[in-house]
This record gives sequence, structure tokens and C-alpha cells, in this order.
Amino acid sequence: MTVKSENEETIQYSMSRRKFLGAVAAGAAGVSLAGLGFDRLQVYAEQHGDTVRTTVRDGDVYTLCEMCVWRCGVAAKVHNGEIVKLEGNPDHPHSRGKLCPRGQAGLGMTYDPDRVRTPLIRVGKRGEGKFRKVTWEEALDYTAARMQEIKEKYGPEAMIFSTTHNLIQQQFENLMRAYGSPNYGTQRSLCFNAMITANSLTFGLDEPGRDYTNTDYIIYAGRNLMEAISNSETQDLVEALAKGAKVVVLDPRFTKTAARATEWVPVRPGGDLAFFLAMLHEIIENDWYDHEFVENYTVGFDELAQEVHNYTPEWAAQRCDVPAAQIRTIAREFSLAAPRAFAHPNWRTSNFENSFQTERAIAVLNAIVGSWNTPGGLQNATGEGGGIELGSIPQPPYPRTRAMRLDGVPWKYPVVPLKLGIFQNIRDAVLTGKPYQAHGWFVYRQNPLSSIAERRKTLAAFSKLDFIVTIDILMNDTAYYSDVVLPEATYLERYDPLTVVEDRVFLRQPAIEPLFQSKPGLWIFREIGKRLGLGDYFNYESEEDYITKQLSPLPISLAEMKDAGYYEPEKDAGSEEQELTFHTSSGKIELSSSVLKRVGFDPVPHWEEPARPAGNQFYLLTGKVAQHTQFATQNNKYLHDLFSENPAWMHTSAATKRGIENGDWIYVESKVGKVKTQALVTEGIRPDCIFMVAGFGHVSKGLHLAFREGISDSDLHVSYTDPISGSQALSQTFVKVYKA
Amino acid sequence: MVSCSIENNVPVGHHRNWVHQIGIKGEFPTLGMSFEPGNCMHCDNPPCERVCPVGATYRRDDGIVMIDQDACIGCKYCIEACPYDARYFNEETGTTDKCTACVHRVYKGEEPACVATCIGNARHFGDLNDPKSEVSQLLATNDYYRLYEEAGTGPAIYYIYKGGRKA
Repeated sequence: MTVKSENEETIQYSMSRRKFLGAVAAGAAGVSLAGLGFDRLQVYAEQHGDTVRTTVRDGDVYTLCEMCVWRCGVAAKVHNGEIVKLEGNPDHPHSRGKLCPRGQAGLGMTYDPDRVRTPLIRVGKRGEGKFRKVTWEEALDYTAARMQEIKEKYGPEAMIFSTTHNLIQQQFENLMRAYGSPNYGTQRSLCFNAMITANSLTFGLDEPGRDYTNTDYIIYAGRNLMEAISNSETQDLVEALAKGAKVVVLDPRFTKTAARATEWVPVRPGGDLAFFLAMLHEIIENDWYDHEFVENYTVGFDELAQEVHNYTPEWAAQRCDVPAAQIRTIAREFSLAAPRAFAHPNWRTSNFENSFQTERAIAVLNAIVGSWNTPGGLQNATGEGGGIELGSIPQPPYPRTRAMRLDGVPWKYPVVPLKLGIFQNIRDAVLTGKPYQAHGWFVYRQNPLSSIAERRKTLAAFSKLDFIVTIDILMNDTAYYSDVVLPEATYLERYDPLTVVEDRVFLRQPAIEPLFQSKPGLWIFREIGKRLGLGDYFNYESEEDYITKQLSPLPISLAEMKDAGYYEPEKDAGSEEQELTFHTSSGKIELSSSVLKRVGFDPVPHWEEPARPAGNQFYLLTGKVAQHTQFATQNNKYLHDLFSENPAWMHTSAATKRGIENGDWIYVESKVGKVKTQALVTEGIRPDCIFMVAGFGHVSKGLHLAFREGISDSDLHVSYTDPISGSQALSQTFVKVYKA
Repeated sequence: MVSCSIENNVPVGHHRNWVHQIGIKGEFPTLGMSFEPGNCMHCDNPPCERVCPVGATYRRDDGIVMIDQDACIGCKYCIEACPYDARYFNEETGTTDKCTACVHRVYKGEEPACVATCIGNARHFGDLNDPKSEVSQLLATNDYYRLYEEAGTGPAIYYIYKGGRKA
């Protein structure tokens, strides 16, 4: 446990786990709140002069979860100014009355004793954990002054802006574009650049929807819905299984999804591409594809057929370690079930440099069997946003940015969408100073120090920067190494811009007033904008004013929205069946991509041999569990209680060979780092793979519970980037394992 | 488990319910794994009730086994007596505690917290005396087993499975 000593002006995060109990027992100046209930946290805060205000109102407040990116509807039960329970909102299509463990544990974040309570300005060295508590006025003035200094000295492109997927992203981008920087980092390239790029080039849409209700056959190659829970989609899969749909899971590890599936295929990492190419081969060579659909809605079939001609199941078996007969059977079953069947686009597949090809192969596989907008197939619809026109707030045009982007998009990566970018390349550009040197980094609700491969490199990049400002709720690892930390209100304490889901507008609204001195992002961006002379870009008086302006075209007031939590406009009667259209250059599904051809890439999916580990090495795989979201929840007391460490899975035979028993301490070593952890010896993984859950091994001493619990995969991962989609190829890291 | 703990103010580190993982069984690549959730079995013949020296544990007419928190003296006999390990000692109150079937919710017409939030749709709650209830229907149409039935406890938690899926 961390012991934090604080006086009026400064705060010093320090750490001595073994001394923790002593310090508490002695009632020393060091204060630890871990283990106290939140009611007592409030009492503590009052006694110590922190601002804790009263409730917005008692009863149920309908808002939106933010414990992951799925954004379920939440009913927050408020009693005497305290949120006592969260429940899934039955009226929201993402929750349907239920919440996952993380959603249930939302209170653990809002009432986390480790909340950053005031704005902080660093006084010690970076990483020393010494900060001065300052007023918002001082923190904002200082932040704006440093940002202005960088702009004047080096140009606005010298300031990097990065954030993760959230409802206020558009306002963060507004600040960045008004300031004039083109350097935008998102977490997409660490996740699903390959999937989105491939689907955009094939169908002209980011991520096709899925109709689970009518499906008879699903193939997953990476999406682990029973552990990487996306509430409504996980519920959909549970129902599809109960109704008897066949579910095939390609995964090198026996995940909980694999356990529930009808068929588990322990595919070789990187070999999933061969599996899908062989499926294409089988379906085309045997004439099992949907001629009419291919003719009417696709282009490039002949090129595709020619490319996959040699990809026989026998050829693939040697590359993906799946027997040829099994590939044949799955190909036949899938084509028979189609179009009430889909191969899921996943988020990540194997996570190799060839994963873009895998995603393309999956996309065209769905296309040739006509699984598009059919009952039980892929759908011409994508997640949130669109459908209902919301009011916008007038603002001046943005200044033109002339500088090239640090991440190489589009000048080196012509098909990567600008909105995705390549996050890891930004870090590398800071290190090399090429094409020019960045000097500042504005981090919003993100933890690049933990999320990007090779943490050591990220730390080195930080040390080359003049100024880092981080907005967060907790003292996460990146905040800990920042110059300014601005405390944001949690999703249960603030308004965010409205969002449209399916045919309804949903509201995130505060269930309680922000604890301590935390503030909503909408307020923070406006205040920084004003100080940078960019006030015209932030034409709203308050968060409520912002939402009122968004609501202006709709016949509903904010007060009414607050009661219901959503608004559903009346539907137009008798909407006609729409003609299938595709936002690609040809207006059709591109089995052969004209864009890829134009920029000099192979236009049809083709085999790229993935790297193989040497004889004594393993593939390093990482993934999720139901109890945690990325790097953000390890300090949550409810979730920490259920899952606090991430031992390394290894197969019994591999362990025996090395004299390793379950629970033994081992070293896992890649070419960029080495960590010590415990072995979880199991039959449930391929003998050539090591697996660990991502998100652990925090280095911030401001996280009482999570500090150095478990190990960070970012200490081991080597930075490899797919040259087409910019995706980080995480599973291409190979490791040695030996007894500690 | 999180929903239960927050709903019932269970101190972190203790739980009123659990999910046991059964497996991974078999040899790569022929493997099986299943999950067995549980909580107080609300037995017809609860051993915890018999050993309680002060009569704090009692079985209600509706079948829910409860602990009178005012009467409990924290002797922990019942914790030892429960074959399901369903009870814990609450250091904050100095008494023993366990699942109440969310009696405060079910009499308002809500489901117990764990049932209401179960994304896997694995938990069901209802009146076994009513043949039309969802739980009675599920028992009528599925195979099922109960834990330590042989001990004569008469557990009220039934584990349903489709033929051949029992771990």
C-alpha cells in the first residue's frame, strides 16, 4: 500500500508496502484511506477541508456508464447525496437492465480515495511524485502559458494531443484543431486499426453490425466476448448459443468464450490468415458462394478467385496448425448456413503485421457468401452516432495546419484514416526528433506510458518533452510523470455531450456534484481555450448550456431529458426498404480494393508469412478479463479484490520441460525487457504460447492498490507496426521463460 | 459478485456469493471448462440453524434463511457448520453474515442483485412452490443437480444443465 503524506501546499507520493500497516496503526501524518467506505470518505473530506457538495437529487438518476467504451445505460441510485448502487438501465440497448462487474464497480472509481483532489503542478523531478496543490486558476493559467510558449517557439505542431474513445472526444479535438496541431493520438492503433481500415476499404464502413437474433453460425478469431465483455453483444452471444447457433472460436488459448463455443480451434498466432484464405479457396473452388450477391454488389471477384486458387486447406494446415479436414468442414458449414452466418470482424485478430490481411480476408469471406444486411448476417450499421440531427454550436473555421503528422499518416501510411492515426509512431517520433521535434503532450483520459509497447521508450520520450499535461481522475502512470495534473469529474458527476444510440438520444448527467475540486471536461477545455485566446471555439456558458444547444432542434427540454435519461423521436411511418449502397470508390463491396491498388499495395487479401519464435521462445499473447478495462481499473477496490494480479499462463508440457510448477516464480524475457512473475500452468493454451492479462504493473505511487501489482506487458512488448493499417502487432513479441 | 457486495454493503475481501471455475479439464486440445455460481443454499434443513446457540439463524416461512443481526453473538459456529462455506464473519459488525436472497429487493418485486445483473442469464430466482414460476418451469424442462444433497441439508439452489453439459 502507498503512504501519502500531504500538507497544505505539497503532496509527496511515496511507497513502502511493508510499512503501511505500521503507519496506519500509529495514526501517523501519512493518511491511507484504502478500505474505508465511501460514506466515510466524505466525512474525511469534510474534516480535511476538501470540497464535497451535496447531491443533485435523490432517487434514480439515468446516465451512461464509462467503465469501458460500450457506454451502457445506468440507473444511479442516490441517497442523501451518496450514490449507493448502480444498476443497468432497462431502456438502454447496450445494458438491457444489466451491468458487467466493471459497471457495477463504478462506485469504486468515483469514491476511490486515490482521486486526484486538486489541480497539481509538479515540483520534484519527473517521476519523483512530488506536486504542489494549486488552484484551478493557477493550473489553467500555467497550462495555457506553457502551451502558448510551445506554439510561439516551435509552432502548434510541436504539441501532441491524445485521448481515448469517449463522448467528449469531439470537444477535445476542437481544442486541438483550434490550437492548430495535426498531431492526434488515439488508442486505435493499439487496438483495431486493422479491422477498421479493412472494413472501410471493403464495405465503406468502419465496423459492420451483427444480427445475433437470427444467426445460425458465427466464427470468431480474436473477439473474446465472455471475458472482454461488451454487455449487449455478450448477452446476444449467450442467447444465440442457447438457441443452438454454432459458434467457432479461433484462439491459441482456451478462453471462456472458447469454452462456451461449439468448437474451439487452437490456431497458430498469425496463422488465422491462412485459415480464412483457405476458407475462401474452398468456398470459391467448390462454387459455394452467392453468385447473385457477388455479381450485384461486389467488384474484383476474379482477382480474388485467382489469388486464393492455391490456398488449399492442406497448404493452410501447415501454416495455421488446423487440420485440412477441419477447415473444409467449417467452410462447408459456414457456406450452408450463410447468409444466416457471419465471420465476426473482431477487434483484433492475431495481432500480427499480417492482421490487416486477416481482416480483409474475413470481410470478403462474409461478402462472397452474401452475409450482408441479411437476417443473421453482418449488418450495414455501425455502433453509436448518426440518425438524429443534433444542434451544433457556431464557431469560427479552424486554422489550416501545414505541418506533416508525426505518426506518418498519410504521408507514409496512405490508407490509415486520420481519425485513427498511429499512436506508437508519435512516441517514436518524439524520440527520434523526426520529421521534427515535438515539445509538449496534452494527455486526456489516457495512459500512454502503460498502453504503448516498450514502456522504457515511452519514458525516454517523455524526458525529451518540455511540457506534459494530463487530465485524469486518478494519479495514473502518465499523470504521475506529468508536469500538470488536472482532476476530472467522473462519469457519475458530470455532463458530457449527447450521444445517439440506434433511434434514441441519450444523456450522461451527474448523479452527484463533482467530489473534491474535480471539474467536467467540457469546463476544462473551455477554460484552457479561453486562456489560449480561442474562446470563440467554445461558445457555451456551461455544460447544461452546451447540451441545451445540442437539443435545440428536438422538441424536448434538458429538464425532461434529465428525468428520462433519453429522448426517442417519433418514427416516420412506413420507411421503405433501402437500396444497398456502399461508401467505397466503386460504390460496391471491394473484394479487390481500388484504393489499395492505387497506393501500391496488393489489392486482394494474400498470404504474408508471420514471424515464428525460435525453438526456445514463445509467442507472447495478451488479452482481457471481465473484471478490468485496459489500464484504468486495477486500483478499483471491488475489482482489485476479484482480480489483482496477472500470472503468466504456460502449457503443462512447456513448464515441465523447464522444471516449472504452477505458482513458481519465473522470468519472462523479450528482447526489450524482462519481468518476474508467477507461472499459471495449464492445459488451456498452445504449448508455444505465453499469455498474460494486460493492464497491470502500474508504476505510479499514487495508486494505493494497483502500484506494482502484477506485471506490465508494455515492459515486454516490442514495437512492431503493420505497414498498411498502422496497427501495433503485439503478438509478434517472442519471449524466453525460465525459473527465477 | 460486485453487484451483491455493493447492494448488501459487504466489506471488501468477503463475498456473499461466488463463481467456481470447474476445469480446465482434459488434455490440450480436448478441453472443457464450466462455471458453478453459488451463495447460501437457503436449505430446508439448515445445519447453521441447528448449531446457533442463541437462535439468531432462522428459516422464514418463505424459505429464506436469515440471521438476526441483533441476536448474533459472533461465535462463528455456523460458519463451521455450513458445508457450502456460504458464511463469513463481518469484522465491521462483529457478526456473521451471508446471502439474504436480497429479501429487501424481492419483496419490492425486484430480482436479487446477482440475478438482475447476470449478463450470462445463468441465475434465476423465484417461487418453487408455484408450478408456473420461471424457476419451476426451468426445473421441469432441464436436468439439474444440487450440492451435497446427500448431507440432508435440502438446498434450495438447483443447478440446471442440458444433458451432457454437467462438468
